[in-house]
Amino acid sequence: MSPSRASHTAVEHLVARVLLVGGLAGLALIALGMGLYAARGGFGHQVLALRREPGPPPPGVFTSMRQIARGLQQRPIDPLAVGALGLVALMLTPGLAVTLAIAGFLAARDVRHATIAAFVLAMLLVSLLLAGAVH
Amino acid sequence: MSSGGLWLIIGAVSLAVFSLAVLATSLGAGVVGAILGLGGGILLVPILTVFYGVDLHYAMGASIISVIATSSGAAASYLRTGLSNLRIGLFLVVATISGALVGAVLAGVVPTRWLELILGLALSYSAYTTVRQLGDELPEGVSTDRLAIRFGLEGTYNDLRLGRHVTYRARNVAGGFVAMFGAGMLSGMLGIGSGAFKVLAMDYLMRLPMKVSTATSNFMIGLTAAASAGIYFSRGDIHVMIVAPVAIGVMAGAYVGTHLIAYMRNTTVRKLFLPIVVYLALSMILRGLGIHLL
Repeated sequence: MSPSRASHTAVEHLVARVLLVGGLAGLALIALGMGLYAARGGFGHQVLALRREPGPPPPGVFTSMRQIARGLQQRPIDPLAVGALGLVALMLTPGLAVTLAIAGFLAARDVRHATIAAFVLAMLLVSLLLAGAVH
Repeated sequence: MSSGGLWLIIGAVSLAVFSLAVLATSLGAGVVGAILGLGGGILLVPILTVFYGVDLHYAMGASIISVIATSSGAAASYLRTGLSNLRIGLFLVVATISGALVGAVLAGVVPTRWLELILGLALSYSAYTTVRQLGDELPEGVSTDRLAIRFGLEGTYNDLRLGRHVTYRARNVAGGFVAMFGAGMLSGMLGIGSGAFKVLAMDYLMRLPMKVSTATSNFMIGLTAAASAGIYFSRGDIHVMIVAPVAIGVMAGAYVGTHLIAYMRNTTVRKLFLPIVVYLALSMILRGLGIHLL
């Protein structure tokens, strides 16, 4: 295998690992949140709001990291905030994968692909800023 | 429970039954999404809204998360086996994300009905070309596309079905890039998933093996969904209790899907993909005529 080919697979394995670990971490937190919710008898209730009504968001809808942090600091802890943290972890995983891809390409001295990945990351950050503006 | 939806006909059920039903549905969507390179939104949004009575906003929020979950679950495996091409994926994501941003700016300025009609007709043509290509297992000949050589848009994967290593290189990279920009723009303006367009552009324009097209699309859709997930989140469209069973089900389904595709022929994947293109073409033409399926 040529050196460039070897670095090629190295970057791909790195990105694959980030996607897997990030995905599983998010999934574990979501499952933990649902487990805690079930332990409190939450699934016996029939209060799930499937309609999106105007006004303050119902339990289970978080619109900022601050709200999630507040739920995590509550005692007893808010199980839905744990689940929401898992969802955020899942949402951040692709961005993290691209960030490490830049590092991987740079380590392989592949500036061209590092630049492409950096552009993609910049676009992700721009959209995150736009999301902040919406809020 | 909510008003509307066939769910009420079945009768009000506990949250546990709702979650299990959504989990099972998402498992199926994950399998299909992983094989066809779609996020599963095309299947999940109608099912959640029509059958479970979930609000369209919450359903779209769940769909965005399902795309990321499918992508994380499937792309991790595809990148390791070489079925998903990281360089081609990143190169084309530049076009789709820029297109989506331009589309978001243009939304509300350009009349969408004409766009939907044109897109519907373009998709009908794509369906026709997909039918013509149905029997092609692998693209023939060697690509000498300059951009493909310059950017290293090539690869090799071990095809377990064919029992050999398949080497490929992208063709018509410029055309594929422009198509991806257009797909991103339309998805930004019309709010439709662009996984199907990505697969079509890679399969038809760039002539990548079908399985490489769907697997690479799987990697790309995670990135484009991540770009808009923040907006859905801060708008309050992501409901933990609806999204949790979706994310768990879809990711497990995607894992199963990655194992199934390894033993499928490229032609089988294309045959499974055809109904999706036909459905998209019809729904876009109907939307253009003012008839919304949802």
